[in-house]
Amino acid sequence: MKPLSSLRDGIGFDLALVGAALLFLFLLAGLPLVYNVLMSFQQVDMFTLNALIRPFAGFQNYIDVYRQPEFWLVAKNTFIFVFFSILGQFTLGFALALFFAKDFAGARVIRGLFLVSWVMPGLVVGAIWSWILAGDFGVLNAILKGIGIIDSPMFWKSDPSLSIWSVVIANIWLGLAFNMLLLSVGLAAIPRDIYEAAELDGANAWERFYTITLPMMRSTIGAVLALGTIGTLQQFDLFPALTEGGPANSSNVAQFWSWQMSFKLYDFAKGATISVMLFVIVLFASIIYVRSTRHEVRG
Amino acid sequence: MKNFRLSLLACVALGGIGFANSAFADPVTLKVWSIDGDDRPGIADTFSKEFDEMNDDITIEYRYLPFDDLVNETLRAYATGNAPDIVSLDNPDFALFSSRGAMLDITDRIANSDIINADNFFEGPLNSVTWDGKYYGIPKYTDTIAVFYNKDLFEKAGIDHPPQTWAEFAEDAEKLTDPENNVYGATFSARAGEEGTFQFLPIIQMSGGSFKNVNTDGAVEMLETWKKMIDNGWVSKDVLSLGQWDSTGTFNSGNAAMAVSGNWEIDRMVEDADFDWGVTLLPTLEEGGDRSSALGGFDWGIMSTTKHPDEAFRALEYFDSQADRLYDEFGYVAPRSDIEIKPSGNAKKDEAIAVFLDQLQYAQPRGPHPDWQKISKAIYDAEQAALTGQMSPRDALDQAQATIETIVN
Repeated sequence: MKPLSSLRDGIGFDLALVGAALLFLFLLAGLPLVYNVLMSFQQVDMFTLNALIRPFAGFQNYIDVYRQPEFWLVAKNTFIFVFFSILGQFTLGFALALFFAKDFAGARVIRGLFLVSWVMPGLVVGAIWSWILAGDFGVLNAILKGIGIIDSPMFWKSDPSLSIWSVVIANIWLGLAFNMLLLSVGLAAIPRDIYEAAELDGANAWERFYTITLPMMRSTIGAVLALGTIGTLQQFDLFPALTEGGPANSSNVAQFWSWQMSFKLYDFAKGATISVMLFVIVLFASIIYVRSTRHEVRG
Repeated sequence: MKNFRLSLLACVALGGIGFANSAFADPVTLKVWSIDGDDRPGIADTFSKEFDEMNDDITIEYRYLPFDDLVNETLRAYATGNAPDIVSLDNPDFALFSSRGAMLDITDRIANSDIINADNFFEGPLNSVTWDGKYYGIPKYTDTIAVFYNKDLFEKAGIDHPPQTWAEFAEDAEKLTDPENNVYGATFSARAGEEGTFQFLPIIQMSGGSFKNVNTDGAVEMLETWKKMIDNGWVSKDVLSLGQWDSTGTFNSGNAAMAVSGNWEIDRMVEDADFDWGVTLLPTLEEGGDRSSALGGFDWGIMSTTKHPDEAFRALEYFDSQADRLYDEFGYVAPRSDIEIKPSGNAKKDEAIAVFLDQLQYAQPRGPHPDWQKISKAIYDAEQAALTGQMSPRDALDQAQATIETIVN
């Protein structure tokens, strides 16, 4: 009798709920993850794909990945892609959020329109940007030429010094709305009277931003940055649509490289190995995210 | 009593089903996978449907798969025991399956067949279904690349014949380049993918190399020429990211005077191009030098896990027996030397296809090698590293050679 009542309204009920969620997580996220890590330590062959027991490879896959001639280039590109995507998405998103917080006529409608980029599938966004960034007949070059910034066209997708930036630009556009939305919510949560009090005390706009907005937004900013890092490390669709990691791997990043290894070169073990390396990085970002949201609950 | 009657009824009904079964045997179901039939009827879906309708004892379940998913989906299906009975694959992917026993050895069946005759096939396509001296499939169709050129622009530039050597190709490209009117001298595809290898491997082969031996002097020289053409603006930098279809699109719209591309473009060109154009064989490295060309096209194979090898082979026989319809109905070139292409009535089209048929004699398959994709990546990576100036052509090809040696040895 006792376990049953505890199941209904006691601690047992809570445990059952948490247990169900954990089981669900384990089946959907945990098992593939374990399988992936396992695979990175095994010799995998296209015909033993669905087997669990395969010859043990030790750290050989990790050594092989590290010895690939493009390893450091890909690592550098991944860093550039993540860092500058986040920088662009966050600063522009924050600027837009502040701008639309002014609540002028039509602010809400225009803010709503920004969400278009967020609901569009990455492949579609990639195809559109592929047109915009085309070297000979692209829109961006036409604009830059029109306002006199450049004389000859920039080959965004084909110039090895520009190709990674073409994906960064498209990704900033893609993630802008998400950043703006989350930061807008954070801004709206700051009580207006604090600003009024500060204004009465003679604080100028910059001082109000620096001493009120930023500290009050700390947990939101932490969450936005962490989620942005995770989202950017997952961003895949833009690469096949824009550059395929080329020319000569100059725009290749870890997540695309991992896919290329598994599904283009059929080297599933190396593909799994790269994704495990990525997972470790995402894990750090997740820890920051969890810490910043915990701070939010307490604060 | 009621129950008894019910069960009696059930017995009669079941008996009836059993009887029906023995009288009309269940048709055998064959699963056929290919990339045809997405936006318009193609070879595999059309022939599958016809074969299904003409045979009461065989039902065909046809499944369309996008080009990029075909190999992955087939691999996964094979690994989990749900493989199709018949699959058609791009020719460089075939060895991946046949070398590992995933395809049925049909050597004896071909030898005993009244319909399929191995001697009829072009050598290149037949090589792509051959592994260890045995046949694991039959060629489905074939294609290759040559040079399309804009006769109007050639006349305007005062050039009286299409280029015969790559040096001439570069010279002509310089003369034909006209930035004022957005015209490049030439276009090709040097993309980071199979298409890049498809267009560059013939150069390696012309210079005496092969996919196992890529760092030849001729290939180095050629990369220098191509780099010069890109650096001087005779060829758009975007050839490094454009696929063949898009690259040839700039030719069709009059923005490039020459294009390296394949016979799959002919029908589109007949429709799009509002200028006079022609086709010439892929240039050689020096006058009268060795010819080579890329071999494209798909192959048919029966997967080794099939439960109905006899019926599946009958389907392959039917597909092959219809090969003379490939060009008229679908615009593909049959992989057989005994099939003549009938005149279409369009002079430009007929002249073009004649050149491609000539070019096919020089077409060489990619591989066959089970790790073709890795070899291919080494080749297009080297091509791109050299054309973007990140490495010297010699170093890039040496690095590719080192990578390839770890794969083929």
